[in-house]
Amino acid sequence: MASYTDPPEEGRGRRDLTVALAFLVLAALVLYLPPGTQSQVAAALRSTVLQPFLMTQGALAQARLRAEGALRLQAQLDSLASIVASQSSLVAENQHLRGLLDLQARAPGSFLPANLIRPGTAGSRSMFLLDVGSDQGVQAGDPVLMRNGRIALVGKIREVSRGAAIGLDWSHPDFRASAMTADGEVFGMVEPRPGDFLGGERLLLNAIPYYERLDSGTLITTSGLGGVFPRGIPIGEVLELHQEEGNWRSEYLLRPMVETGSATHVLVVRADASIQRLLELFEGGGVAGSPEVDSTGGRDG
Amino acid sequence: MTRKTILGLLVPLLVVVHFFLHVGFGIERAAPDLLTLALLLAARETGMGSGGAMGFFFGLLEDAFSVLAFGASTLAMTVVGILGARTRELFVGDSLLFFFVYLGSGKLLRDMIHWVVAGEVVREPFLNVVLIDGGIAAIYLASVGLLLALFLGDSRALR
Repeated sequence: MASYTDPPEEGRGRRDLTVALAFLVLAALVLYLPPGTQSQVAAALRSTVLQPFLMTQGALAQARLRAEGALRLQAQLDSLASIVASQSSLVAENQHLRGLLDLQARAPGSFLPANLIRPGTAGSRSMFLLDVGSDQGVQAGDPVLMRNGRIALVGKIREVSRGAAIGLDWSHPDFRASAMTADGEVFGMVEPRPGDFLGGERLLLNAIPYYERLDSGTLITTSGLGGVFPRGIPIGEVLELHQEEGNWRSEYLLRPMVETGSATHVLVVRADASIQRLLELFEGGGVAGSPEVDSTGGRDG
Repeated sequence: MTRKTILGLLVPLLVVVHFFLHVGFGIERAAPDLLTLALLLAARETGMGSGGAMGFFFGLLEDAFSVLAFGASTLAMTVVGILGARTRELFVGDSLLFFFVYLGSGKLLRDMIHWVVAGEVVREPFLNVVLIDGGIAAIYLASVGLLLALFLGDSRALR
């Protein structure tokens, strides 16, 4: 008697199709998961199956750092010592002038060294991982700097978990920084500009008044306006005039101080000291007696 | 060694090497996309369900490093896994040329889906991402696959 059931091949094909469709739906659902859940899934994967690969890059970065010549480090130490020595009188001078102008004391920022890991996988452009996290007091929004001859801006922290953080560098399309010339004369806004080829990203300094002319090589730093980045962190140098809009403003192309791919060892500017300071101010706490450990982490004008 | 045994050893190895190259050593585009290669090789040997499942998990692993377009790789790899498995029923080809075109188109399709799904925030010009970078990456991946096939000799293990 003939069977009315499906032939085994057909049944298997149908089952296969059902499973495939189920995974397709699941994949589409992953795309629309709430950002918090997406972060949790990603963090779980990074801390389990992908951990060995991250540890490898961390170990390589450490080894590279250790291999850095002792003579070079000594030279840097000597340079720093001479700078500190030559500027020690400036601290007292600055304190005196601030007193005369009745300015608030600068809030001290603290730097936290970290290893930067850049996954080279698809969709991870502009993103980096740090081996420091909430355990070390890192918070979302903290600026990330790198020493490249001088300290310069790399990007900022986006997500923080225990012992790890995710950041986005200046090449991310959403990156914006309020900027100024190093002498504080001209103010504008810096944003990334995609390059014509891979790795050719540049920065664009816009909203510059038409009558202001910037020479090639002018240093552009953060202005501290808006409170996202502390004042005075170098961002880049003026390359050339990019565009003029009517007769009222112009845009300049900048050469970034930090090529994002070269960052391996960075400094995170922890905001904790500044927040503590703000809380003190809101609570009506006095400004006198605050430590005058001035650094680029100072967030006031 | 049978075709299944070879693929059973090769596919996990490619996945591990992919993450060591891209994440462990931080090599970006200079290293081929061995994850997609592993998926395309495995998909030809399995059914659509297994191809989709494999693509889903491979894509999820890659998305663990994608803050701004989470899920784009998962969807792209799932579709490629399913279609890769389907090609076995549609095209019966075991020539090296077919194998090269199969791998190249699979990678190009993966990049194209990723570009479409990734969203406007991270989407760069189609010409740069898919046609130029994607085209080069597809040829790179297909060449690596071809070399692997030639290295494994006459076993036709991969085709």
